[in-house]
Amino acid sequence: MEDKTKTLQREFLKVFEKLEVVLGWEPGYDSLHATPSFIRQAKDLNKLVWNPLCSQNLCTYLVKTLNASVRKDDKKIGICVKGCDSRSLVALIQEKFITRETFYIVGIPCEGTVDWRRLMRIEPSLKDVQKVDIQGNELEVETAQKTYRFPLQQVLEQRCLHCRYPNPIIYDCLIGEPITPHIGDDQAYGDIEKIEQYSLPDRLKFWEKELDRCIRCYACRNACPLCVCRDSCIAETRTPKWLSQRCDLKEKFFYHMIHAIHLAGRCTECGECERVCPMEIPVTLIKKKLNQIVKDLLDYEAGIDPQKQPPLLTFDPGEKGI
Amino acid sequence: MSEKIFIAQGELTAMLERLSKEMDVWVPVEMGDEKWGIRFLPYHEDTIVVLDRQSTISPKNVVFPQVETLLRFRYQKDDNDPSKQRIDLKDRQDVSSALVFGARPCDVRGFHTFDQVFLNGRYKDPYYEQRREKTLFATLLCDTKDSACFCSSVGSGPGDREGSDLWIVPVDDGYVIQALNDKGRKLIPIMGKQATTEQIEKAQRIQEQVTAKRIGEYDLTRSARDFTDRFEDMDYWRDMVSKCISCGICTFVCPTCYCFNITDESRDLEGERIRSWDSCMFYHYTLEASGHNPRPEKFERYRNRVGHKFSYFPDTYSGMISCCGCGRCIRSCPVSIDIRRVVHHLKEAVDAEV
Amino acid sequence: MVNSKEESTTKKDLLIVGFLCNWCSYGGADTAGVCRFNQPTDLRIIRIPCTGRMDPLFVVKALIYGADGVLVSGCHPKDCHYNEGNFYARRRLEVLKQFLPFMGIHTDRFRYSWVSSSEGRLWQQVVTEFSETIHGLGPNPGVHGESDAKAGMSFYT
Repeated sequence: MEDKTKTLQREFLKVFEKLEVVLGWEPGYDSLHATPSFIRQAKDLNKLVWNPLCSQNLCTYLVKTLNASVRKDDKKIGICVKGCDSRSLVALIQEKFITRETFYIVGIPCEGTVDWRRLMRIEPSLKDVQKVDIQGNELEVETAQKTYRFPLQQVLEQRCLHCRYPNPIIYDCLIGEPITPHIGDDQAYGDIEKIEQYSLPDRLKFWEKELDRCIRCYACRNACPLCVCRDSCIAETRTPKWLSQRCDLKEKFFYHMIHAIHLAGRCTECGECERVCPMEIPVTLIKKKLNQIVKDLLDYEAGIDPQKQPPLLTFDPGEKGI
Repeated sequence: MSEKIFIAQGELTAMLERLSKEMDVWVPVEMGDEKWGIRFLPYHEDTIVVLDRQSTISPKNVVFPQVETLLRFRYQKDDNDPSKQRIDLKDRQDVSSALVFGARPCDVRGFHTFDQVFLNGRYKDPYYEQRREKTLFATLLCDTKDSACFCSSVGSGPGDREGSDLWIVPVDDGYVIQALNDKGRKLIPIMGKQATTEQIEKAQRIQEQVTAKRIGEYDLTRSARDFTDRFEDMDYWRDMVSKCISCGICTFVCPTCYCFNITDESRDLEGERIRSWDSCMFYHYTLEASGHNPRPEKFERYRNRVGHKFSYFPDTYSGMISCCGCGRCIRSCPVSIDIRRVVHHLKEAVDAEV
Repeated sequence: MVNSKEESTTKKDLLIVGFLCNWCSYGGADTAGVCRFNQPTDLRIIRIPCTGRMDPLFVVKALIYGADGVLVSGCHPKDCHYNEGNFYARRRLEVLKQFLPFMGIHTDRFRYSWVSSSEGRLWQQVVTEFSETIHGLGPNPGVHGESDAKAGMSFYT
């Protein structure tokens, strides 16, 4: 079977003349990191890679960097999406920030991406990595000296451990075969249930402790594909002034509430906010809880059906259950 | 009396305990259970010190806190004339002395940059000056480089002792600690017992071995001209930093980034004037009152960051670059932007790279 | 026991923020006042044009920055002055209400209700009940972290 990286490059090459730019991943600064790649010339397509290190959600760039709603000519944007990324893409289509026709989407069924911090915790001396691949329930890391195997549960990103959508929702071309999710719908919220077992004061303590580390670098917001206010986020504007420049817990706590509540019913659980956090705060949990409420109350999941409207942007006069 | 002492691994906590009675002792600790990241926090009982890897965020906040109150104010109405207000001001408070234990040479080197800006110019910054004077650095010889480290590329190195007050060399089952100046020397009696000749010799050997190492392949110290030549090359900058998401991680974790904002934060009749970290990666950093923004695009902001560190700063401060090569901005970057690569390629276009 | 409970409910005023829609609940509160119905004194009313204007973050901000309870009240559904404002509000506020406990904030510290401008009696009932609930819960513990000390909060806390 052909290497997925090769297939990926070949598929884009086929249609490249119709594309303005291709968003994919290329090897990062070391062998344990991939980095987003903006390919504008066909000869650079061979830089593209696909492996379990390709963790960035490229949909983040659509509204904020590429301003993809405005197209000069009829050329399309080529983009690689994992299952979770495709949900962000759908959500942006739902909210009319972008149109489906603008994109040539290469979907990649994904078995999870690696959290390098978790990997380093288990094997701090890991270096000279040559290849990283998922084989069954294990992550295989080939180095110059030996081949390591790690159970996926221990090295994948938190978001991947509870992933129900490993397969892209929409695509023009699928690389590889669809895969079966590791977990069923009933376990999807296992991580938030863990928090809910705490008593109310303990939950407060938990969040006080976690959110207190926040340094307000706004990476969680900027990495979020659905944070579309660009440079007008109320966390930074002085008029209206929602937040001060202070850095006490009240401000940090409230900042995260702003992010979460603005994503209620919109978050596609790509987990980027948590992945990018330098202080390792489990912020995705907050958004997931809101998602769970919206699911139970309004029977809606973001980024699944391009035709559906996010429930908090609409209403039903005969609402039941509220 | 020798200035070199030995602390066994098991005695470390007791020593920090003794020191923490004298001053605030900042030590590297884990972010939380099962987390990889490290940050500096004041030592207290039960603190588990982690010295085997670099901290995620530099200890610059000990001397340059993320938020510092410059003054407090309170308006008071004049009872006799309601149109008049009196303002009460409270000046800053004294700070206590501190020791940063287990910093890396790169962390300490960051303060060279700070010193140029806050102390060595025409005006001295009293807030910074006070903390700087009262803060000591016990620096760890650094033998834990990873793929993002590049201290030798910017003229430093893993055994760079400059700027430290105490110097820690890890030997088999403990640490040999040595005072590098009078400030450090005062702490030596509190810290522990004299090291044996063997331990001293061993530490010396390790010191030499590590100092000889070169961390980082490029030489990034002479890029000032290359930067100005490349300044107008929009394609270069777009190509290098299209993927930047314009967050503040690189500047906040950086030991040399010193940009700040000053704001009055008040409610009702009272408030305070604070100085807080700012980041040149933010849109609002250069936003002017008129609404005009000279750096609206993120590649312009990133270009400024590179320019500041490798061109404007050396132009102003006799060739010194304001980067210490700690690699934090690379390691923590959500999209793995590599500043070494950006600076290195200023000279020759990326296409030259195979 | 009885004494201490009485003390806590009668002696200390807690801070309850009420966001009332201009057309219904604000009028309802006015009606209650004109009719001289007894009302608890710990409610501070903020008039909003419509519950559709109600950003859930108003509630969150009030609770984080020291309010002991937040009450939002507007026109009955299908009776909105602007036809649909409270339909939007209903969804947002219900989601918020269910969400607060996840962050460790008691869900009863926030309530939303529908009171029309003629329902002075109902308003009295709503606000009395809510006030009792909040007094039952006691002062809001708020959020506190280690970083507070460094942030120079002297005048605030």
